[in-house]
Amino acid sequence: MRLKNPIRSSGTAALEQRIADLEADVAELRRHHLRLAEIADLVQELLIPLADRDEARTQAAIERFNESL
Amino acid sequence: MVGRAWRSSVRVERVDADGLRLWSTVDRPVNVFFGDQRVWSLWLRRDTTPVGALGVRRHAEWPRPLQRFLDGRTEASVRDAASGDELWAGPLSFGDSDVEIRVVNRDGATLGMDKSGKLVPTFGTRSQTDIDGLVAATVEVLTVLRKGGVEPFVAYGTLLGAVREGRVLGHDSDADVAYVSDHTTPVDVCRESFRLQRVVHEMGYETHRYSGAAFRVAVREGDGHVRGLDVFGGFLDEDRLYLMGEVGVDFRPEWLRPLRTARLEGVDVPVPARPEKMLEAMYGAGWQVPDPAFVFTTPRRTVRALNDWFRGLTPDQNQWERHFAIRRDKDLRARPSRLARVAADEARARGAEVLDVGAGRGSDAVWLARQGLSVTAYDFVPRALEQAVGLAEAEGLPLEVRSLSLAQIRSVLGEGARLGHAPQPRPRVVLARHVLDATDAHGRAMFARFCSMALRRGGVVVAELRPGGAEEPTDRPRRSVDPDTVVAQWRAAGARDVTVQTVERSAGAAPAVRLVGEWPS
Repeated sequence: MRLKNPIRSSGTAALEQRIADLEADVAELRRHHLRLAEIADLVQELLIPLADRDEARTQAAIERFNESL
Repeated sequence: MVGRAWRSSVRVERVDADGLRLWSTVDRPVNVFFGDQRVWSLWLRRDTTPVGALGVRRHAEWPRPLQRFLDGRTEASVRDAASGDELWAGPLSFGDSDVEIRVVNRDGATLGMDKSGKLVPTFGTRSQTDIDGLVAATVEVLTVLRKGGVEPFVAYGTLLGAVREGRVLGHDSDADVAYVSDHTTPVDVCRESFRLQRVVHEMGYETHRYSGAAFRVAVREGDGHVRGLDVFGGFLDEDRLYLMGEVGVDFRPEWLRPLRTARLEGVDVPVPARPEKMLEAMYGAGWQVPDPAFVFTTPRRTVRALNDWFRGLTPDQNQWERHFAIRRDKDLRARPSRLARVAADEARARGAEVLDVGAGRGSDAVWLARQGLSVTAYDFVPRALEQAVGLAEAEGLPLEVRSLSLAQIRSVLGEGARLGHAPQPRPRVVLARHVLDATDAHGRAMFARFCSMALRRGGVVVAELRPGGAEEPTDRPRRSVDPDTVVAQWRAAGARDVTVQTVERSAGAAPAVRLVGEWPS
């Protein structure tokens, strides 16, 4: 039997693939942090003032929020 | 002995119009001076190319940003960055001119090369008044951040300057401030950074966010020059420290706190409990040796972690800033795009205002406003719209300029909320010319969200894109787009009818796709 690269067996290739998959899975999970932070910040800064139903305070909260980005 | 070994291993053979020719077996940084002004820093091997087979004879061309200044004469020298030892000195001439070379910007400020290879006004060429001004501003931002509930310290180049030299580094061009959050999870670190930015903003500073854990504070100096202070967030999880933008190392909490002070330009500034450990985390074990041409070699694991957790809020921003900076002095296009004419017809027919998303320099927005239509021009590089603002003010046009980033949920939903709460809401026309093929999949989804909020009272979206992305070399970042996906997104966001048509463009160019989406009132 002739192997092109006897050191790199199919078992190693499978492990390499699993590592690549794991890295991609980790990245996928990590990317939720920023999105979640953005949404949590919006809820805290905008949704709560909006729930007041006081139009002047709502406008002020929106302006303040947008200007600080 | 070290000195002798150093001298024997490096020889600068000549410096002329072609660049530097040298002989070196070692790799270390050197500075190039025109007179007393450091204009360039490079590593003897890393930044040079071999001449001949042995690889010890090296050559470096004049760096591109410097080339446009190279006409005339100067007294040049090449000196070791660490010891200051002179390796070469002599007269240098370029072309036939006898004029003394001046490496200055349009305001006359002398320039030096920063570590990213850009020519910027550096501290080495600035007056003590300016340096004191920046140190004062640094102290002020530190105070504000402390009021915001974190324990900030000077970081990166500013920490290095304070600890190693007691001064700001001559080759540095900004000031860096950092803090390590009490939170241990990236989501909370981002939220805290958002909150801190609001605190700084409310103090009257202009700020710019460039990641979930870092933002920049603009400090205006005495001469009007604006300098950036970077505020980097980080966190400790167990015994591992992550700090935006280059640090991911094992780090003991007692190396961080309690903070202590170091002298920077005669002023006490906060530094970590063991500043040398932090400097090693930032610059490696060689931090004690000056290196104006330092390049970070951040491990892949750290880069991946910081990218995934915190980055992605400003995709392609640098390219777009450069694209617009090059065109800053060019007049706006007087003729409207074909899509702008379509938007104008739609707006007139409906009594609608126009939202130009991704307005760029604002040629179409200005044209639309000159037609008497109310226009809001949005871009994520608001400086691109400077000329449009000037024209609008001079001509009294109904044009408003606002910042909008499709990459940022807070930006899109914040602006969407503002439009939704407009005191006298009108129908709207959203114009999006080559925006959907400039942004990514997330940006296109956010655009649909923006439309759903902006068009609650009905209106239309007119967009053009090139499905295949960039077809010729361009400095405009382009991505490929599937128009069917866009149609589906718009429908999900409330569009009733969406039409797709192919639009022929000028000779030889691939056709564009025009999408028109109708939102019911």
